[in-house]
Amino acid sequence: MNVTEILPFLIPLIIAQFALLGYTLYHIFTHNTYKRGNRTVWLIITLVFMNFVGPILYFILGKEDN
Amino acid sequence: MKTLFSFIKKEFTEQVRSGKLWLLFIIFILFGIMNPAIAKLTPWLLETLSDSLAESGMTVTSVTVTALDSWVQFFKNIPMGLIVFIILESSIFTKEYASGTLLLSLTKGLERYKVVVSKAFVLSALWTVYYVICFGITYLYSAYFWDNSVAQNLVFSVVIRWLFGMFVISLTVLFSVVFKTNTSVLAAVGGCVAVSYLAGFLPKIKSFVPTYLTDGNSLIYGLSESGNYTVSLIITLLLTVACVCISIPLFNKKQL
Amino acid sequence: MLRITDLYKSFGNVRVLDGLDLHVPEHSIFGFIGKNGSGKTTTMKTVLGLLKADSGTVEVAGEKVVYGNSPTNRHVGYLPDVPEFYSFMTAPEYLRFCGEITGMTNTDIKKRSGELLELVGLSGERHRIGGFSRGMKQRLGIAQALINSPRLLICDEPTSALDPVGRKEILDILTSAREKTTVIFSTHILSDVERICTDVAFLKDGKAELQGNISDVKSRYGIDEYSIETDCGDTVRALLERFPAMTHIRGKLSFRESDVCVFDVLAYISEKRLPTAKIERCEPTLESLFMEAESK
Repeated sequence: MNVTEILPFLIPLIIAQFALLGYTLYHIFTHNTYKRGNRTVWLIITLVFMNFVGPILYFILGKEDN
Repeated sequence: MKTLFSFIKKEFTEQVRSGKLWLLFIIFILFGIMNPAIAKLTPWLLETLSDSLAESGMTVTSVTVTALDSWVQFFKNIPMGLIVFIILESSIFTKEYASGTLLLSLTKGLERYKVVVSKAFVLSALWTVYYVICFGITYLYSAYFWDNSVAQNLVFSVVIRWLFGMFVISLTVLFSVVFKTNTSVLAAVGGCVAVSYLAGFLPKIKSFVPTYLTDGNSLIYGLSESGNYTVSLIITLLLTVACVCISIPLFNKKQL
Repeated sequence: MLRITDLYKSFGNVRVLDGLDLHVPEHSIFGFIGKNGSGKTTTMKTVLGLLKADSGTVEVAGEKVVYGNSPTNRHVGYLPDVPEFYSFMTAPEYLRFCGEITGMTNTDIKKRSGELLELVGLSGERHRIGGFSRGMKQRLGIAQALINSPRLLICDEPTSALDPVGRKEILDILTSAREKTTVIFSTHILSDVERICTDVAFLKDGKAELQGNISDVKSRYGIDEYSIETDCGDTVRALLERFPAMTHIRGKLSFRESDVCVFDVLAYISEKRLPTAKIERCEPTLESLFMEAESK
């Protein structure tokens, strides 16, 4: 298997993942209070589980309802 | 009609501005790409693992991947998407109970049934759009790498899987009207799906329960044919409509 | 405008409303006074059809209120004690939404919401409601309640959570709203009632007491109080000794006509030639009326 074969996946996957990651990080940095936890905890979770599990966890458990 | 429309507009604005729309959008796109990607990477994964597998006594023969593997992944991953969708949207009613925002709208003369109808409509519309996006991406990749025609009953199996999602949404609406917190809503919806799933182990009623519709794999492999699903299909449809219809009078009587 | 007849409501074993009768005349500002937990909010929610009464009738503009979707709500604007709006909207967007669900036309909505934002001092406010202060939310609450030009405006403790400046703003807005609507507001802050209300009712043990026009209520139920001011310690001592029913605070003696006859006091003062600075008859205040009603 060579890289060119998986490029059609790789490019959009990377774009989508980074869009999600970027959006999550933006949200974390523009909010000072969270439903649970604090900024450091959510940054670590988001970055460690960056392939969508971290961001989803943040939006379900961490994001305040305004 | 105009009031219904403006309440629906409010729901959509909320989805967009709370960021839920974009979040779910990206998640379903990710799932859509991952289905064929995992299928494509399976042989390569097995190859790298073959040494350790050989040590444990398993021999790896070369595998050929087809579109079927991609669709198997689709049916495996779509429940994850549905779960994330329901968890994120389970507060669509309860958030308004807790904050008291509905009270003002209702004292302004908004008819209560319009609240239920709007929210049910918005949930269904969003689920449909996300589902179509996920399906579309998987379909296009599978068509590009392999041949989708090997998957039998593809459209039918995908449509009944979508209907199962609609059924879960109608449960969410019903329990949102009954309960006050989204944790109880989630627990009740989860409970109902679990009951249906467990009932699926009883051979006698196996093909009657809604969770029977989630068995897309047997359909695409041609192990089962669409006719087998008719009863389950009708029951699920009836339950879905019934849930929404029961929600309206319940909501009319609900103490807010 | 609003007539409540023989209203009963219990929560479990607790009877909150016990045969409440209330009449709010048109174009009045009606102060609905009661302690916390006396049933003010319950009464208001019943008027809005949000609570089901055990028995009794509520009429708004001559029309009966029914539980659930009450058609009378088209005459009514409601401001809850802690108004909550969709925090993701801006103030003009929220007013537009309110206008739309009451079935107003687009041109009406535009005109009316412009006027109201001006009235409550929120025009030019482009932030989302999520970042509003309590006072701003309260003012937006009045604007949304007035959007459909209601004939009756019901406010549940609109001033309790605000600072003096915010309170004055709200009271001014309510006063200016009186030209077109009847205003009924509940409160436990008596000075607010004194400041703007024309009519009043005290809610006690689930019944309305001391109900009616403020000056009527005062003259009917008020007990005349007198006060005597003096710099002379001997005067105080002599008077207290002769009239033990008097109360003494910082050189000022006060008594009620029901306890001590004012002519006896005057006669005693002139007989003993006691030096006094001032003898005065005091107007009854709502405060004293309220305390009186409460202690009965």
